[in-house]
Amino acid sequence: MREPTYFVLASLLDGPLHGYAIIQRAEHLSGGRVTLATGTLYTALDRLTAEGLVVLVSEEIVNGRARRSYGLTPSGAGALRAEAERMAEAARLVTNRSHRLKARGPAREASPA
Amino acid sequence: VTPLERHCGWLLRAYPAWYRRERAGEMLDTLLEASPPGARWPSFRDARSLLIGGLRVRGPLAWCLSIPWALLGAAEAGYNFILSEHVPDAVSPEALTPGWIGEPNVIAVAAELGALTWFLLAIPVLLAGLVRIYRGRLRARLAAGLTAIAWAWIAGLALMYLLAAGLGAVAWVLLTIPVLVAGLVRLYRRRLRAAGVAAGLTAIAWASTCMVGLALMYQVANWGPTAAPIWSGNCNVGAGCSLAGYRHAVVSWEELAVLAGWLALGAALTLILASTRALRIRDIRAVSGA
Repeated sequence: MREPTYFVLASLLDGPLHGYAIIQRAEHLSGGRVTLATGTLYTALDRLTAEGLVVLVSEEIVNGRARRSYGLTPSGAGALRAEAERMAEAARLVTNRSHRLKARGPAREASPA
Repeated sequence: VTPLERHCGWLLRAYPAWYRRERAGEMLDTLLEASPPGARWPSFRDARSLLIGGLRVRGPLAWCLSIPWALLGAAEAGYNFILSEHVPDAVSPEALTPGWIGEPNVIAVAAELGALTWFLLAIPVLLAGLVRIYRGRLRARLAAGLTAIAWAWIAGLALMYLLAAGLGAVAWVLLTIPVLVAGLVRLYRRRLRAAGVAAGLTAIAWASTCMVGLALMYQVANWGPTAAPIWSGNCNVGAGCSLAGYRHAVVSWEELAVLAGWLALGAALTLILASTRALRIRDIRAVSGA
């Protein structure tokens, strides 16, 4: 799962949002790192909708235009959780080791024989 | 309608019509919200993402191949047009680049390479189009493919003889009618339930579209009442022409306008036929669980 996709799904954790709200929420959640362009957002939404991870929840007319809100499906929430666990697992590999390194001090270079 | 709305509307045209019908409203809403107040254009990132997103929806392979193919064909046609008008009887690199500033050999070689690339590119464009044309059962796909090959062969031979006999107009009609018919088939596809017929026609149209471009190059190079017949044995492509086959062609503005029309038609049809429906309406039309 690519980072923008991950943050699009994560932005919907607290409930359905519409297009621009997803962009804002993803930017907020990622600490400003993921700023989705409009085309990128809808490419992601198309794919996630086709895969059944995201679903159209409501549609209202604002200023004469459709404003659609999208929400996570149960399988979307499951995929997000699985990805989060995978990343946490991968992160532990490094964080655990760096704790140990800190405890032992910097690694010594191999001495010539 | 504000300038921002209008400009966003232009950019949204990168997406195919069926997609815009479904999504343009909400995308416009998002774009307007994302743009700072008073902006006349959406941000560069947004514009870029729309253009790329549009191409993605239209189908990556066929679409991306068709654009350089059409542009290259147009460039080559233009080059040959200039040649046909200016080439003197002497064969020299300078003769191949009339009115050009720069190293004549470089331009001649570039034109040669461009022509070669254009021909080679036509093969994947044709294949991508054929794959896209009919994604039904294997038998129907094979039938569509064979139809296209047979048509390309017959029409190619006919084109060769017709053009050599100075009956270029007949050749153009021969090539263009199936393209137009297939365009209509595409428009009224839902009413045409005979899928085999539609697939065969579209395949023919696809091959024709590729050949319209091909013929165009020769037509341009040999346009005009005094031009030598094409494929008469002494003419090759572009800068590789043995110039003995060329004479000074007389080209009027009306002929040029007709030519531009053909070029636009060929390019447009290529692009329309190449647009893949990788994504379908039911993919983006989210079905609410409620």
